[in-house]
Amino acid sequence: MSGLRRFLRSFFLVDILRGLAVTLRLYFSRKVTVQYPEEVKEPARRFRGLPRLYRDGNGEPLCIACKLCQKACGTNCFDIEGKREAGAKLMRPVKFDWRLDRCSFCGFCVEVCPTSAIRFSPEFRMTGVGREPLLFHLDEMYLAGDELQERLCGGCRRAR
Amino acid sequence: MAFKEIELNMGPQHPSTHGVLRLKLAVDNEVVLGIEPVLGYLHRGMEKLWESLTYVQVVPLTDRLDYLASLSNNLGYVLTVERLAGIEIPRRAQYIRVVLAELQRLASHLAWAGFMANDIGAMSVLLYGFEAREEILDIFEEYCGARLTIHGIRIGGVIHDIDTGLVSRIRTVLTNIPKRLADIRTLLDENRIWKQRTVGVGRIAAAEAIDYGLTGPPLRACGVAWDMRKDIPYSSYGDFDFDVPLGRNGDVYDRYAVRLEEIGQSIRIVGQALDGLPEGPFMAKMPRVLKIAPGEAFHTIEAPKGVLGFTIRSNGTDKPERVKMKSPSFINLQSLEHMCKGNLFSDVVGILGSLDIVLGEIDK
Amino acid sequence: MTPFVADLLIPVGKIIAVILYPMIMVMVMIWLERRVVALMQGRLGPNRVGFQGVLQPVADAAKLFFKEDIIPRQADKRLFNISPILVMFSSLLAFCFIPLGEPLRVGTYTLTLWIADSPVGLLIVLGLSAISVFGVIFGGWASNSKYPLMGALRSVVQVLSYEIPAGLTVLTVAFAARSMDLVEIVRRQESSGIWYGFLMPVSFVVFWISAVAETNRAPFDLPEAESELVAGYHTEYSGMKFAYFYMAEYAHMVLASSLVVLLFFGGWLPPFQGVKALAFLHAVPGFVWYLIKIMFFLYLYVWIRATFPRYRFDSLIRLVWKWLIPLALANFLAVALVRFLR
Repeated sequence: MSGLRRFLRSFFLVDILRGLAVTLRLYFSRKVTVQYPEEVKEPARRFRGLPRLYRDGNGEPLCIACKLCQKACGTNCFDIEGKREAGAKLMRPVKFDWRLDRCSFCGFCVEVCPTSAIRFSPEFRMTGVGREPLLFHLDEMYLAGDELQERLCGGCRRAR
Repeated sequence: MAFKEIELNMGPQHPSTHGVLRLKLAVDNEVVLGIEPVLGYLHRGMEKLWESLTYVQVVPLTDRLDYLASLSNNLGYVLTVERLAGIEIPRRAQYIRVVLAELQRLASHLAWAGFMANDIGAMSVLLYGFEAREEILDIFEEYCGARLTIHGIRIGGVIHDIDTGLVSRIRTVLTNIPKRLADIRTLLDENRIWKQRTVGVGRIAAAEAIDYGLTGPPLRACGVAWDMRKDIPYSSYGDFDFDVPLGRNGDVYDRYAVRLEEIGQSIRIVGQALDGLPEGPFMAKMPRVLKIAPGEAFHTIEAPKGVLGFTIRSNGTDKPERVKMKSPSFINLQSLEHMCKGNLFSDVVGILGSLDIVLGEIDK
Repeated sequence: MTPFVADLLIPVGKIIAVILYPMIMVMVMIWLERRVVALMQGRLGPNRVGFQGVLQPVADAAKLFFKEDIIPRQADKRLFNISPILVMFSSLLAFCFIPLGEPLRVGTYTLTLWIADSPVGLLIVLGLSAISVFGVIFGGWASNSKYPLMGALRSVVQVLSYEIPAGLTVLTVAFAARSMDLVEIVRRQESSGIWYGFLMPVSFVVFWISAVAETNRAPFDLPEAESELVAGYHTEYSGMKFAYFYMAEYAHMVLASSLVVLLFFGGWLPPFQGVKALAFLHAVPGFVWYLIKIMFFLYLYVWIRATFPRYRFDSLIRLVWKWLIPLALANFLAVALVRFLR
């Protein structure tokens, strides 16, 4: 570009005006903000939310206390004890302590579980008031939704 | 006339040090005379921690090193383990890894562009860069469930396959990003204020850059054509056709320009990888428990920040004996003093931004 | 009209108005800045406190009011306390000389929309607004800390340097209007039919750049560069004192916008005065036009802030001494020559 053209572009502030035009155009553009908590962006299907235990179609718990998740976990989140009742086909857990404050959401427990008992839920609201709510016992591992929120932090003031 | 040297502290909490970095500056009124970085505020004992975990359990922790480009860390570690154990990776898995790594490079560079522009004062570019990055993070969320600590590249392959739906969504994102990039370029590239802040600032010559061990975009901005993806290709990068952008002066503007060009090149690579995705398995046959015979291996990759390297020594068990990580930000940070000497205090912020450091990587 | 009303109530009313007007504009500015910058960045900004967030400034003020007032132990207490007051004082005092419109006839009484109409009003306003520099330097020094000191030094040099092109361009307006009285300048623009912003665009642009630099606003906001000096000269201030600095900056912006509108864009005159077809525009009171124009310039302030990076200190000084001052001088000579040849 010739020296004169460059000088004129500089004198008439062309680069400044082009920059201003960009911000003005974006001023009128559609905003992508999601107004939480009135609007909630649904997580993806594979979203790594809070891990929890699931039951099968008949309401029977899927966990057979094989402790593969405990072995796979790199951060020692699990403390499981199982027992097989006399005459029962499968072992069931009698103690299943899981610590949310140690979980790194790596997904190893989910991947190794042979019965898909423990899976990621789409729950992403995981605040607890204190350490106690973050330690889940066997029954609490099946909680979801509002019951889970009640347990963790007394329930959010604004419901989902 | 005698000058009075003030020691100024850009403390661990500062809006512009990218993480908890403490810089002790010796300043003469406005001119920087010397810088001493004080590190360790984010040290978590990663390398020692890894000695007590199995090879597979280490992979999610590598996410937390360079947390803005976690898949690159995964890839670096995983390639080293595979070289050590002699595992062959199926071609489809290699191509998917390339797609993931280049998408991650896009995300990292967009975050970098936002932060650097914000430090120099152009606040809007931060938001534009992050809005573009959000689309990439949505792809990652759809692929494997996490947005930041992704853990999608595993020893032996990748965690999931890419189906046609995901491929089309990736292609949509690839067409949206250049538009955002054009906006950022219009705001910054020719802007006189930006050029005054960045051209000729923080200059480093090519020979000195090599002496300091500078790698990645700062090295390429000096004109040295060294890119691990081209020079020592890994994970089937040799199959793809892309250019390596080079700078000339080694100043802040060239580093900025090189990274923006790399964004364009990454989009090219992802397009080619998606077009030529071969059939086959996405994960190699791996034993249930990975035990590696005693040996030592070293592998490097071109992470978005520079050359990332892992050295792993194995002792026959399922846990590594020693893992050593060479992080690009740590090495690049050494040259900060050389670049900042003689410049003004305001330039320190710009130079630090152009080096693109992440404290997670530096402090491990 | 009894002397009580004319000599006591009305002046007191005007004083209250002159204090309230910038304060209300400051509240509007706080909201405008946050919303407009947010919308330009692709997000929404405050929209929860009140309809579309209009009560956000109230929330901010309440928050700052309740914050603890921290004075660093080694700080110079007297200077530390007086600097926010000085900065606020200078901008509020200058508002006494800003006219808001032609005098109104209320019955038999002529109500003037200003507190003082001095024949050299322009000079006084410029001088008073420069007193704020003292507040800045006292604040930086009294904080007994390196970051505020550096910020204050930068600010002083910046403000003093940019006074020069501001003064030179304002002189061209005084030349064209043959007067330094602000009311007279607006009346001259009315009678000559063309506003000085269109007659002397170079003056306007140079004055606008100087105004942005004088008020320490982006891209010249180095003294309070958030990402470099944390907060510059008001780093150590908290609570109401910080609120004073904050409000004083916005009041200064409103003052600068008022000056630009009065000097270059016809003050309270409606646009297209000469065009008979648009005579209905005269039905809108002058004060409303004045506000519309001021709001445009305040929007321009925010728009510029959202767009551009910050000037580095030496570039800033080089810009004013190497480019703006010679340009302002050349412009001044050109205007003087044209006036002489007329």
